[in-house]
Amino acid sequence: MAATRRLQKELQDLRTNGVRAFRDISVDESNILYWQGLIVPENAPYNKGAFKIEINFPAEYPFKPPKINFKTKIYHPNIDEKGQVCLPIISAENWKPATKTDQVIQALVALVNDPEPEHPLRADLAEEYVKDRRKFFKNAEEFTRKHSEKRPAD
Amino acid sequence: MDCLTIKVCKAFISKQSSSQNGTVEPSGGAQPSSSSTTSSTTTSNTTTNSSIVSSTFLHQKIQQTLNTKPNAFVELICSGCGGSSTGSSSRRTDIKRNTLNPEWNECFTFPVETGQAYPEFTFRLHDYSVVFRKSVSILGEGKISLKEIIRKYADESVPEFSNLNEHELHVELVQGSKKIGNLVLVLTGKFSKCTTVATSSNSSSSSSSNPPVVNGNANNKPERRPAPPPRPPAPTPGGPGSSSSSGGERGSGSQRPPAPEPPLPPGWEVRFDQYGRRYYVDHTKSTTWERPEPLPPGWEMRRDPRGRIYFVDHTTRTTTWQRPSTERLAHFQNWQGMRSQILQQGKTRFLYNNAENSNSEAASQVNPADDNQSTQGAGASSSSSTTVSTNTEEQLPPLPDGWEKRIRPDGAIYWVNHLNKTTQWEDPRTQGQLPLPPHWEMRVTDEGVNYFVDHNTKTTTFEDPRMPDTKLGPSGIYGVPMSYERSFRWKICQFRYLCQSNALPSHIKLTVSRSTLFEDSYHQIMRHPAYELRRRLYIIFRGEEGLDYGGVAREWFLLLSHEVLNPMYCLFEYASLQHNYSLQINPASYVNPDHLHYFRFIGRFIAMALYHGRFIYSAFTMPFFKRMLNKKLVLKDIESIDPEFYNSLVWIRENDIDECGLELFFSVDFECLGQVIHHELKENGDAVRVTQQNKEEYIKLMTQWRMTRGTEEQTRAFLDGFNEVVPLEWLKYFDERELELLLCGMQEIDVDDWMKNTIYRHYTRSSKQIQWFWQFIRSIDNEKRARLLQFVCGTCRVPVGGFAELMGSNGPQRFCIEKVGKDTWLPKSHTCFNRLDLPPYKSYEQLVEKLTFAIEETEGFGQE
Repeated sequence: MAATRRLQKELQDLRTNGVRAFRDISVDESNILYWQGLIVPENAPYNKGAFKIEINFPAEYPFKPPKINFKTKIYHPNIDEKGQVCLPIISAENWKPATKTDQVIQALVALVNDPEPEHPLRADLAEEYVKDRRKFFKNAEEFTRKHSEKRPAD
Repeated sequence: MDCLTIKVCKAFISKQSSSQNGTVEPSGGAQPSSSSTTSSTTTSNTTTNSSIVSSTFLHQKIQQTLNTKPNAFVELICSGCGGSSTGSSSRRTDIKRNTLNPEWNECFTFPVETGQAYPEFTFRLHDYSVVFRKSVSILGEGKISLKEIIRKYADESVPEFSNLNEHELHVELVQGSKKIGNLVLVLTGKFSKCTTVATSSNSSSSSSSNPPVVNGNANNKPERRPAPPPRPPAPTPGGPGSSSSSGGERGSGSQRPPAPEPPLPPGWEVRFDQYGRRYYVDHTKSTTWERPEPLPPGWEMRRDPRGRIYFVDHTTRTTTWQRPSTERLAHFQNWQGMRSQILQQGKTRFLYNNAENSNSEAASQVNPADDNQSTQGAGASSSSSTTVSTNTEEQLPPLPDGWEKRIRPDGAIYWVNHLNKTTQWEDPRTQGQLPLPPHWEMRVTDEGVNYFVDHNTKTTTFEDPRMPDTKLGPSGIYGVPMSYERSFRWKICQFRYLCQSNALPSHIKLTVSRSTLFEDSYHQIMRHPAYELRRRLYIIFRGEEGLDYGGVAREWFLLLSHEVLNPMYCLFEYASLQHNYSLQINPASYVNPDHLHYFRFIGRFIAMALYHGRFIYSAFTMPFFKRMLNKKLVLKDIESIDPEFYNSLVWIRENDIDECGLELFFSVDFECLGQVIHHELKENGDAVRVTQQNKEEYIKLMTQWRMTRGTEEQTRAFLDGFNEVVPLEWLKYFDERELELLLCGMQEIDVDDWMKNTIYRHYTRSSKQIQWFWQFIRSIDNEKRARLLQFVCGTCRVPVGGFAELMGSNGPQRFCIEKVGKDTWLPKSHTCFNRLDLPPYKSYEQLVEKLTFAIEETEGFGQE
């Protein structure tokens, strides 16, 4: 498969270099186009939990960008209830075949840690984030506590 | 996505349970506990060779000593929630200290996602030790299965959803076999059903006619969508008689036999791949990841004599190869509902009607092989034959395959096309040169020099009357002034001439029903030899017998083109998801075992439309037209059908790729019907790495592959069918955009509407260049406007709703003019975004010059 070699290399690099904020990468040996992993944010209000994501690579990778979905619910202005996230680096306009999954994940982690209320996917949360940061943090912490995954041991 | 909210209200814990033995996590409710559930105090006798057990024991000992009540919390373990089907997630309540009646009233929401199995929930009541931090013992646990709950308690009054509205549930908590208490839950959730049709037809179609295929694994992985079985559920045989809807105690849900899933439609079977993923096999050879819906009411599955499965709709008495689903049917109905709109639109299309008619009349007068000639070319009238001098013939390439040159006894030369069994006076290699004016004739002197006879004035001349005045400028490849050759009118005139000169006498009658337009037309067109389709058409809609003076034929072309291009038939697809103008061959068309016959048929049909000068409803992508013209497809062509792919290729071309770890080789994959198809771009391509050095070759091969992947056979069949009616070389005058205009006709373009729905980037409405642009648009005729539109949007057709509804490749996309580059540049276009890159020209004249060039020049223009 054409995408396989590229993804195998990326996976290997990712595993050897070890990204602190992205753990438990699991890839079905039969289908390297589907990855799962755990986002472990460092910033409040998400630093009490971990968030499972899945990455779907198209057969035409790296000609087409991967798609990312949150499997764990998260209270975040840029991630909607379905777990969809709007990440510029993998949008149709910005995608480059040289973009590595590593970079995509870095961008995702950065977005989780520092929400961008200017480009919200959930306008209600963005508004709360801008207008009443304290309330947002409280809600997000509560939500994280209830819904998030256990953080892996260091 | 559906959600289930579980409110954990409270628990009642029987007194002795607090001192109950349990296990400490992570051994999670394993054996040691069950051996000692009967007695609360004798646990000390159990051998405690494991430190875990001993600590538990100690913990309990102390608790007993202190005579405390449990510090209770509930752990909710959901299996089948969230991401993978194997993944389980767990949540926990707060700890309520020192009580036998803890009350939490906490809500937990679990996603119950499409594509997921029904989750099962385990509730574990834990005791949290104050003395030993992190020491936790299980007091008891209970299980529920969402599937069971929905089946038994859900409100089915709304067709789309199964509702659980604050349903109170008492779950028995057991430790081993001993009941230690009750947990009170309140469940709320809304679960979409598969479809209404699916539920209602369950009983009628699948269960009555054929026995359902045994569905191997109902237990652990229930169906992907939480569609409940049909409403009043028959009590499951063997199930305990706890069908009362009250909040009666329920045992562990896992002991209950699982509710049967709605049976699979006949012929389907569920299987598991080696990784345990479930998929469905239709024993007509296809597989799918999605669970098939039962057939909608009124549909039946049948097999034809060759054993292929097809579907019969008894309501409309139609058949299809494609398995009907509610979504498909809705789409189909919608498509069918557009018929009147199509006809309305068809009436507004035109293409130089007057000019065309007069020209074709002229042509037919010149041509001897018209109406009164037999197909064998025997009786040509001697008065106006065209003779080609031998010396010019020597310069010509050999005749195409299947052609033969013959000479009549009187010396007249004609050509036989054995493929079509037709004859013509014109040499196929030179045909289509400008016809002589009416009543002119070309003859050859004894010396072999052409001269011309004007029968109108009874004079002769060596000057070719077709030759232009020299003041019109240099001649083009057809020997007429270039400026003239370039005009669309002239090209149409040439093409019409070819059609006229190869027409056959008499007519051909095609009788079709409106309701079975596709199949009827297919059979009628395919049972005739292709050349007969050049006879005058006489179309009859069954039950509407009337005379066809052209109006009925016009209607037939519009309706049938709309029908065959319907993406529902899977033969064609929209070039991109949102771009709903242009169609291309669907690589997945092979789901229809007869697809190549259909493509051949459609090829014939499209050729007939051109031949008879009729319009079709919608057209193909520009690359497809280029393919018809046998033009080389270039990188830029990908942009209009797959902009993402295009951008990536351009990036590779423009960047040094050696250092960026692309890991590309001369091979490529694509997915068709869930199957990944691997292709080596050249021999042993899997082993050849793409480098800075060889990337041009890679891009070339990729372009070639991308534009043809999965559609070669189909295209071949289409072109074969086309060529049988209209030889493809007749199209040589046209470029791909003209071919679209020829096939679809033009519409009157409303410039005010266009202006109103145009947006600007780095220009404003009042910018000089924008003013000039609209001044230019108003000054040109409809054809030029259509071609400008084609240049920018990739199509000459304006949507029914006007420019406001213009679509791009990512949804609605208004016409956009952007300031780009310098005034020495040519305008460029991005058809997938309906965007014109208009450099800031210095004068109106300059703008006109550059834009005109853009409209007229198609080759090598605007291509990066």
